[in-house]
Amino acid sequence: MTKYIIRRLIGLIPTMFIIITISFFIIRIAPGGPFDKDKRYPPEIIKNMEKKYHYDEPILIQYARYMLDILKGDLGLSSAYPDHDVNYFVSRSLPKSVFIGIIALCIAVISGIGVSIISAAKQNSWIDYTAMSVAVFGITIPLFVVGPLLMYICAIRLHWLPTSGWIDGKYGWVTLIMPVITLSLPYFAYIARLSRASILEILRSDYIRTARAKGLSEPVILFKHVLKGSLLPVVSYLGPAMAGIVTGSVVVEKIFRIPGIGHFFVQAAFNRDYFLLMGTVIVYAVILLMANFIVDILYGFLDPRISYK
Amino acid sequence: MKKIFLIMSVLLIFLMGCGQGKKETTVFTVLNGAEPPTLDPALSEDNVSHNILLGLFEGLLVYNPQTNNGAPGVAESWTVSNEGKTYTFTLRTNAKWSDGTPITAKTVVDSWLRTLNPETASPYAWMMGMVVQGANEYNSGEAGADAVQIKAIDDHTFQMDMVGPIPYVESMLPHTIFGIVPVHTIEKFGDKWTLPENMVCNGPFVLKEWEPQDHVTVVKSKTYWDAENVKLDEIVYIPSDDNNTRLNMYKNGEADWMFQGMPLDQIDVLKQRPDYQVIPQLATYFYEFNHTKPPFNDVRIRQALSMAIDRQTLVDKVTRGGQIATNEVTPPMPGYVPPEGNGYNLEKAKELLAQAGYPDGKGFPDSTILYNTSEAHKIIAEFIQQQWEQKLGISISIENAEWKTVLARGKEQDFNILRMGWIGDYQDPNTFLELFQTDAGQNYGKYSNPEFDALIRQAATMPGGTERFNVLKKAEQILIAQDQGIAPVYYYVNQDLIDLTKWGGWYTTIMGWHPPKYIYKK
Amino acid sequence: MKNKNQHQPEHQFNQSIKRTSLFLDAVRRLRKNKMAVAGFIIVVIYAVISLSAPLLPIHSYKFQILDHRFLPPSIKSAGKILLERERARLLTQAKNAGRDTLLPDELEKLETYEQKLRSDTTIKDGKPIRTFGRIYLLGTDSLGRDLLARIIYGGQVSIAIGLIGSITSILIGTCIGAIAGYMGGKTDYLITRFIDIMYSLPYMMLVIILMALFGRGILNLFFALAFVSWLTVARVVRGQIISLKNSEFIEAARSIGAGNLRIVFKHLVPNTLGIIVVFTTLTIPNFIMMEAFLSFLGLGVQAPFATWGSLIQESVDGMDLFPWRLFFPAITMVLFLFAMNFFGDGLRDALDPQLKNKL
Repeated sequence: MTKYIIRRLIGLIPTMFIIITISFFIIRIAPGGPFDKDKRYPPEIIKNMEKKYHYDEPILIQYARYMLDILKGDLGLSSAYPDHDVNYFVSRSLPKSVFIGIIALCIAVISGIGVSIISAAKQNSWIDYTAMSVAVFGITIPLFVVGPLLMYICAIRLHWLPTSGWIDGKYGWVTLIMPVITLSLPYFAYIARLSRASILEILRSDYIRTARAKGLSEPVILFKHVLKGSLLPVVSYLGPAMAGIVTGSVVVEKIFRIPGIGHFFVQAAFNRDYFLLMGTVIVYAVILLMANFIVDILYGFLDPRISYK
Repeated sequence: MKKIFLIMSVLLIFLMGCGQGKKETTVFTVLNGAEPPTLDPALSEDNVSHNILLGLFEGLLVYNPQTNNGAPGVAESWTVSNEGKTYTFTLRTNAKWSDGTPITAKTVVDSWLRTLNPETASPYAWMMGMVVQGANEYNSGEAGADAVQIKAIDDHTFQMDMVGPIPYVESMLPHTIFGIVPVHTIEKFGDKWTLPENMVCNGPFVLKEWEPQDHVTVVKSKTYWDAENVKLDEIVYIPSDDNNTRLNMYKNGEADWMFQGMPLDQIDVLKQRPDYQVIPQLATYFYEFNHTKPPFNDVRIRQALSMAIDRQTLVDKVTRGGQIATNEVTPPMPGYVPPEGNGYNLEKAKELLAQAGYPDGKGFPDSTILYNTSEAHKIIAEFIQQQWEQKLGISISIENAEWKTVLARGKEQDFNILRMGWIGDYQDPNTFLELFQTDAGQNYGKYSNPEFDALIRQAATMPGGTERFNVLKKAEQILIAQDQGIAPVYYYVNQDLIDLTKWGGWYTTIMGWHPPKYIYKK
Repeated sequence: MKNKNQHQPEHQFNQSIKRTSLFLDAVRRLRKNKMAVAGFIIVVIYAVISLSAPLLPIHSYKFQILDHRFLPPSIKSAGKILLERERARLLTQAKNAGRDTLLPDELEKLETYEQKLRSDTTIKDGKPIRTFGRIYLLGTDSLGRDLLARIIYGGQVSIAIGLIGSITSILIGTCIGAIAGYMGGKTDYLITRFIDIMYSLPYMMLVIILMALFGRGILNLFFALAFVSWLTVARVVRGQIISLKNSEFIEAARSIGAGNLRIVFKHLVPNTLGIIVVFTTLTIPNFIMMEAFLSFLGLGVQAPFATWGSLIQESVDGMDLFPWRLFFPAITMVLFLFAMNFFGDGLRDALDPQLKNKL
């Protein structure tokens, strides 16, 4: 097992290398450069700015320079936010996204699985249908509607909560309520539906029939045999979902003013802020690879039939 | 769930109560449009950072809060000599940095030279180049720093030689690019000098906190020479580009001033509010034609299209925010009334179109309007599209892209009609008209008329006054009436939400700069 | 709908063995499932309505009458609504001045306003049309366009995107996921790494480049969607297959000499169908909303053509003032998704290999 883990971890390095290399080159192909602005600057000024970020050098040299910098742990300079470097932004904003993402994810997982057990146990009852309706709503209505709607109801209409902001503002922790609800809703819906389908699948399988035949009680069957196996698709889904949720949802961060890293993903792409964009790509890739790696390990725990050699 | 909300709201009230218990400080919260890219005056190029810098730094001149013209700042007074080409400033003796270091004429020279230094890579250095003799040469690396014609005559006298008599220079000098920076701390901290722990300022406020994407907080400076007249204790700039959230924050009393970016759907309701301020802005919204390709290289087509846009209906029923319909590109300024452009005239438009070979729009080639993605640009394009389709029989499709793609396509003339806008950098028609010279970078449509170019060049050598304005007026007449080089649509307005019964010292100005030094709570 | 049957053990004695193709068998069982049939019918109705939009007696989706902007949904004509609005305005004005009724000159003003409304015409395609009697069942948008027409026309692209997105994700995702899960070892390693790389590339930049190279056609939109839609499905399927491939029934199939392909697609994939179908029906709204995001970058359909995604997106800012602009497109989508879910559930039950040959 340990050997397997180590081998897998080493295997991530070439993947990372490929991601960084491909990204580095493709983002340079996109039309428009970092210094195309509302005001079109004289060529001399562009030249000065390109020099500052070494954009005037041949692309392969830039690439080599960037790779060396990464090995040293330096993600480069941001051209749209010249006062800070990329490391500063990542170190400031990533923890906040991770924090809020993990809270939302926990809520989504716990409530999603809970609801799925109830609705699978009472299949085709009103509970089942209500849960399904909530899930369908939760998925259909996009975050950019749920967020403003919640804000309108809770902040503007009822004055229960402040509109937005981070926990160190003057309103404290309550500002987190709405973004966490918004962020967890679609994940809750996915998990609830996937896990319900999976539970039903397993309830029909031979070994559950055997268990029933042996006369085991329903709760024992449900929790001991069904649930563990049924988490498999949820876990598969969670790998990429986790990477998405902890690196910050752009929409939720924008609406509720969460100073997380999600904003930079989009902003850096729009600004053609090459190094900031690369920084966010790297952060995302690392988290995604780790999450998928953990998922693969979890498979073994959830299903004894899966073995790793 | 309800219980949690109840507990939370009790907690909230409690927390807010605690806040009020403290000694009364006047905090002014501004909904600034986005994360400020920089707080380095030499690197600033946008109004978000400009807004903050207005409080942190003071240049030789500052904006007069009521007119936005130049007013004495670090320079107490100045004299003009050498046929308007030389300015000599007398600096006030009590100006100093927030760490106590005095500001002398040498500081000004060093600051400006730093801005022009090619290694600083200042995006707005061109603006200094427009004014200061030798600035462009140094900035482009052709000459050394000694080519720049600025000097410290003594500790408190600073002199600059200009490239010509520039009548509007006093409205340019308050711009941050002419700012004075703490060269002594920049040498010490390098690129990190704008971090709150490192930064020293010379304006009425100093930087306290800068949390990216969250807030910038500035507090009243104790060392500022005019500190007794600064009324605000603290200003919080909130960077949010979600207009819906910003509006909700304002409505909820979480912020005191929201500028620009009012959601279009809310305009009708906002207009009814007493705290909604709308002021004409020194900015124009226009459509550029591609002059390099048919059919838009034909002046009749351009005139026909421009004449078929019912701009008044557009501003009344589509944009609705108080924008001013215009057939001219330059907004009226003190002393300058733009010449009349081609207004809404359907008969004439149809006639011109027929003359150009497309009677009732028959056979008009496929064309598109290109705009950068935005709800407002979209519905304006949709409106104009229908105007042309229903009135001229021309069907033109519309196409959006994100900003950088639009700019890249504009640069390569890969468009038929391009939406553009321009905000004047200073109060003079030149800031608009110079855009359309043949070799100007901003001239995406490649409009070219030697006569127009000659007039702009001629005006650049003339001293201020009616005569110069007449030359510019003639140039504009060629651009918008005779050639219809572009189709102006409307003048932008500054839309602000601020309760003026509560806040004073905030004036409505065409440039839209509101120096925080003068803002006070009534 | 599933009956209690599944709780009863199935064995060779209560199954009537009747050779029939998997497909016909599935259709037969699908038809018995009322909810699934209802779902299917709704989806068909949606498709028929949006495809036959040009033939329906509805307004143009793009013709603007600016005076009719932001009209609420109503069976009354636009002219009447405007008239009532004006009367209400004058009445509040009168109330503020301390009167209960309108003055004669105000009544006269109202009269002339009505005359004006009744005689108002606008030019459409060269012909003047009267605007007074136009009825907007679902209200209008910010340029006075009929919301009903916009939703119906918007369905054309949105339904296509939803279906194409889910079909490509099922096809590509299932195949690749199944192969990776079943083969294991090097193949699995390479495929999962490939998926990881696809996930990590900056998608927005890829789309921008795609557009710069190939323009903004609807085909490019489908391509941009298909490009990433299958990734999560592939991972989920792979997980399921890994778990299933060591089961007894696979051992059995292998021992009687079934080939790899047969094992994967005849035995393994059908057993993961439940998960695949649920997952796919869930992703349909994602694709529909993703279209709105891609159109922000400039990819896909052009204004003034609408899609459900763009209708919802542009209504968010004014949702407190013009709730119908958000409500109707949203409810249209929710209903569609419900139908797809029921249909999907029915499909899943119908294709369940454990129920094969069962009545």
